[in-house]
Amino acid sequence: MKNRIQQFGFILLLLFSITTQAQEKQEPWTDAQLMPTQELADKINNSGKDKPLIINIGPQSVIKGSVDVGPGKEKENIGKLDKTLAKVDKKREVVIYCGCCPFDRCPNIRPAFNELKELGFVNAKLLNVPKNIKVDWIDKGYPVNQ
Amino acid sequence: MKRPASIILMLIVLSCGYRAEAQENEIKVGVMAPEISLPTPQGKMVSLSSLRGNLVLIDFWASWCAPCVEEQPELKRLYDTYHQSIKKGKKLEIYGVSLDSKKPAWEKAIRRFDIKWPQVSDLKFWSSPVAKTYNLEGIPYNVVVDGDGYIIALNLHGKELEDFVRAGLEEK
Repeated sequence: MKNRIQQFGFILLLLFSITTQAQEKQEPWTDAQLMPTQELADKINNSGKDKPLIINIGPQSVIKGSVDVGPGKEKENIGKLDKTLAKVDKKREVVIYCGCCPFDRCPNIRPAFNELKELGFVNAKLLNVPKNIKVDWIDKGYPVNQ
Repeated sequence: MKRPASIILMLIVLSCGYRAEAQENEIKVGVMAPEISLPTPQGKMVSLSSLRGNLVLIDFWASWCAPCVEEQPELKRLYDTYHQSIKKGKKLEIYGVSLDSKKPAWEKAIRRFDIKWPQVSDLKFWSSPVAKTYNLEGIPYNVVVDGDGYIIALNLHGKELEDFVRAGLEEK
């Protein structure tokens, strides 16, 4: 009897660890969808024609030429995001950024990125901001608004 | 003989260069806290130097920063306890510098926590010149300044902050 309980407990533990592992991996983006800041800065600076559409979904737009939609955690702003993207080619590269804090801790990223995926943007990217937009963008001298 | 001399010369040149860079604006204990002068939500300019004579906690925060917001009730408790002077003439003052970008969000957070200490912001988010002056790399971040305007502690939180404030007000 005791053995059985132990076995049962072990299986439960195993199941639990598998589900938590699975949960950890369930971010809406893949590694390939994370764009390094240097790459975006190069794309802005290069006068090529295939410039991505850059959208701020954080507290304020900082990156040169980016569209300011506002914090993605607010439903109203997801509506604005929809409007901004209404006539955009689904194949166009769209880069969203937050910048308040390390990107994976920003509450605006997930709702906005999920929306991009749902709308069918196949080249949706998320700017990889390890600390914040000051340290990872402004301090590096990358192009800013105004 | 020639070689050691050139190496020494090179080291001197290198260290001078390094120093010049580091001195640009160093935020560390013992240096004068750089002046900040920004508007309150009502548009009144309040400067850091106007709070001289008090123990001043400069709190860098924003309504969009969850850990900063979580800290506000704690700061309020600290303020309520130590804003009345323990010893004659010396009390705690808090100078809240917000990196908010939208005024309504900033005002809402101030109201929510019923913050009574001076709150200032240029509403420029991470583009704020203050973020550059104070070499901010993330928030929440704070700087404790003594009555003469010198930095006496950096980035203390929780019990460590309270112990430091109490000790700072009790001495002399």
